[in-house]
Amino acid sequence: MRKPPLDGVRVADFCWAWAGPYGALQLAHLGAEVIRIESRARLCPTRQIPPWADNEPGMNRCGYFNQYNQGKRSLSLDLKQPEGIALAKRLVATSDIVIENFAGGVMEKMGLGYAVLRAIKPAVIMASLSGYGQTGPEKGYVSYGPPQVALSGMSALTGYRGDGPRQAGFSYGDPNGGVHGAYAIMCALLYRQKTGRGQYIDLSQREACAMLLPEAIMDYTMNGHQPPRMGNRDPYMAPHGVFRSQGDDAWVSIVVGTEDEWRQCCTAIGQPGLADDPRFATAAARKDNEDALEQMLTAWTQERTAHEATGTLQAAGVAAYPALNGREMLADPQVEARGTYVEHPHPEIGVRRHLGIPWKMSHTPCEVWRHAPTFGQDNDYVLTEVLGLGQAELAGLREKGVLR
Amino acid sequence: MPGLALEGFTILECGEMVGASYAAKLMADMGAEVIKIEPPGGDAARHRGPFPGGTPHPEKSGLYLYLNTNKRGVTLDLTAPHGQAVFHRLVGKADLLIHNVHPTRMAAHGLDYARLAGLNAGLVMTSITPFGLSGPRADYAAYDLTSWNAGGLCYLNGGGPGSEDLPPLRVFGQQSGFQAGVHAATASLAALFARFQDGHGQHIDFSVQECLMGISEFAGIMPTYADQIVVRFTGNKAIRPLDIMECKDGWIYVACVEEHQWQRFVDLMGNPDWADEELFKTRLDRAGNWDALQLFLEPWIREQSVDELYHQAQARRIPFAPVSTMGDLLHSEHLKVRGFFAEIAHPQAGVHTYPTAPHTMSETPWTLRRPAPCLGQHNTEVYTGLGMTEDELGRLQQAGII
Repeated sequence: MRKPPLDGVRVADFCWAWAGPYGALQLAHLGAEVIRIESRARLCPTRQIPPWADNEPGMNRCGYFNQYNQGKRSLSLDLKQPEGIALAKRLVATSDIVIENFAGGVMEKMGLGYAVLRAIKPAVIMASLSGYGQTGPEKGYVSYGPPQVALSGMSALTGYRGDGPRQAGFSYGDPNGGVHGAYAIMCALLYRQKTGRGQYIDLSQREACAMLLPEAIMDYTMNGHQPPRMGNRDPYMAPHGVFRSQGDDAWVSIVVGTEDEWRQCCTAIGQPGLADDPRFATAAARKDNEDALEQMLTAWTQERTAHEATGTLQAAGVAAYPALNGREMLADPQVEARGTYVEHPHPEIGVRRHLGIPWKMSHTPCEVWRHAPTFGQDNDYVLTEVLGLGQAELAGLREKGVLR
Repeated sequence: MPGLALEGFTILECGEMVGASYAAKLMADMGAEVIKIEPPGGDAARHRGPFPGGTPHPEKSGLYLYLNTNKRGVTLDLTAPHGQAVFHRLVGKADLLIHNVHPTRMAAHGLDYARLAGLNAGLVMTSITPFGLSGPRADYAAYDLTSWNAGGLCYLNGGGPGSEDLPPLRVFGQQSGFQAGVHAATASLAALFARFQDGHGQHIDFSVQECLMGISEFAGIMPTYADQIVVRFTGNKAIRPLDIMECKDGWIYVACVEEHQWQRFVDLMGNPDWADEELFKTRLDRAGNWDALQLFLEPWIREQSVDELYHQAQARRIPFAPVSTMGDLLHSEHLKVRGFFAEIAHPQAGVHTYPTAPHTMSETPWTLRRPAPCLGQHNTEVYTGLGMTEDELGRLQQAGII
């Protein structure tokens, strides 16, 4: 049985909401043993929001939690009791990595700041993910994922031509901060392998979003220019858009990047002569006449389904894909054929389809070994097998209400 | 003495634009020796702006300069047999080869894992491709925008009440490439970590489409759990305000998630009478009656300045955020104190300010060792390092291979 790449690496995961859990999810996907410390007194918001399986509320029935905590273990601890904190520290002592995304200062207040944890485990790698970071004049500011899209500069650049700034359509700041955190943790892990030294990582989700905007940031630093919002258009390529197709709110994205592709596109849509039309003969001409170009293409796309248009254009070597909605996303023939969907039977909600790991490794295969944990599902395993407690101690902790 | 987290790893990068390039940039910035292999004509990113003064120049693309900090650059025609022979010598010394060459062009570029593993059993090769290397659509063509759609993310954005005719709206820039890059970099480092166990390399087959689906938040959950889809017509938010609104000098993100945040916002507005209306009592009411609430909020917010309202709200622990312009980022005292930006001098492009890294690391901080390479800048250094003579280099140059 070949093992995943992070087999044997243990993560004490104090995360909640989405950014931190998404970062820890990458480590779980890579085979680390991620032990999520949960608390009834401060239950993760993603255990408390719909959608619930079959619309029946319950903290183990949440789609959000179950998607983004696959393959992790759950240890429930009351961190308001000294025994809870003591157990958390014992867990850190056996862990390689600590990851958390509370507001700045919360871990310190609980007595679990980096200085304390490093004293317990000198080579520990600790990553704090927050909106603003742990330093700077705005470090105490309150932050959620959606406002970070605005704060980072992304919203001011995103929107229809001549219209106002827009959001991203999802809480983009969270997974992006999470995965950049996971990347930094991997760097720290390789450094520790070489030197034996741990370290502290202070990640700002706002900065992680700004990392994704170099064209605009560099335009400003080079030219003092704020790029205008241009919808789905590109400064160089045309056509470059999302076009109405047959059906209810159905759309197909099409991009032509080279002159060869343009000729193939013209033939595919049954108008080979267009390739020689001076209005559209070069990329620069197509940019100049983009409104007419888009109208013409829409006249073709709206007569067929997004999937038909995609099939026709792809057969001609032109990049196209339907604007998949959620249902199509979970039934995509390509993803299905690659076996990437995950459907582990869950004790409370049965078999549900989840999105899985986007990479396949030939020598150290990664797989989601289990569904997201039910609350406290792994208390026995963690306390006895990881921390070495006896049954009597366990019973004592239960009686005192520490495991909640 | 600060360390370099990835010191000692040699990484080869080939392909174009963002995916492989951002992954390798993240590694170069953390101390890896990255050799970027460009075709003799250069990476396509060199031909995309922004450019100083708006004048295209292959050594002055802001996108390219950012994506290639700390790398060495060589030119090599991987599609020519002699080019592949040189490539094999590079592969022999590499720990990781990361590329985003399309599956239909991999064979022609000599990107055959079995063959390369025969030369270097410890090689990790990461293939970033739009749809992965297997499956019926592996060969489909893609650009950044079509990938954002194939991943189900474009469908979620844009629109708004009364705007059903507007198409799904992408997020600015090359977001599919950036997400693929950072995710694939993370997986690649894990494969390098695994190599400490048995010295074995491997092939990573990375799908951009699957990566993007994985960050779709509610969209990938609602069908399974509630038999619904998420639509972008944002009139149906459960909680409000969570909206971008216009001030007198820009835009602000108005966010009241918790009831106490709303109460403090009402206080900040001077406790207007309308706020006592039953219509606006709970966050669910405020979402349900958003049309009415908007009419009261808009005139007040339009009188405010973004910066003042932002800091006044945050002083009351209300999570407002400015809709930052690039100027706001560059002039932010907070980002300055955190060292997010750095000035980097490039021999041809000059001195410009760049983003560095989204984190501080106590032992292995971001460091600049060199700016982005000019086209073929390190040919002599890298190729003579492989034991090639000046003569050989001259012949390859004449043949247009480097």
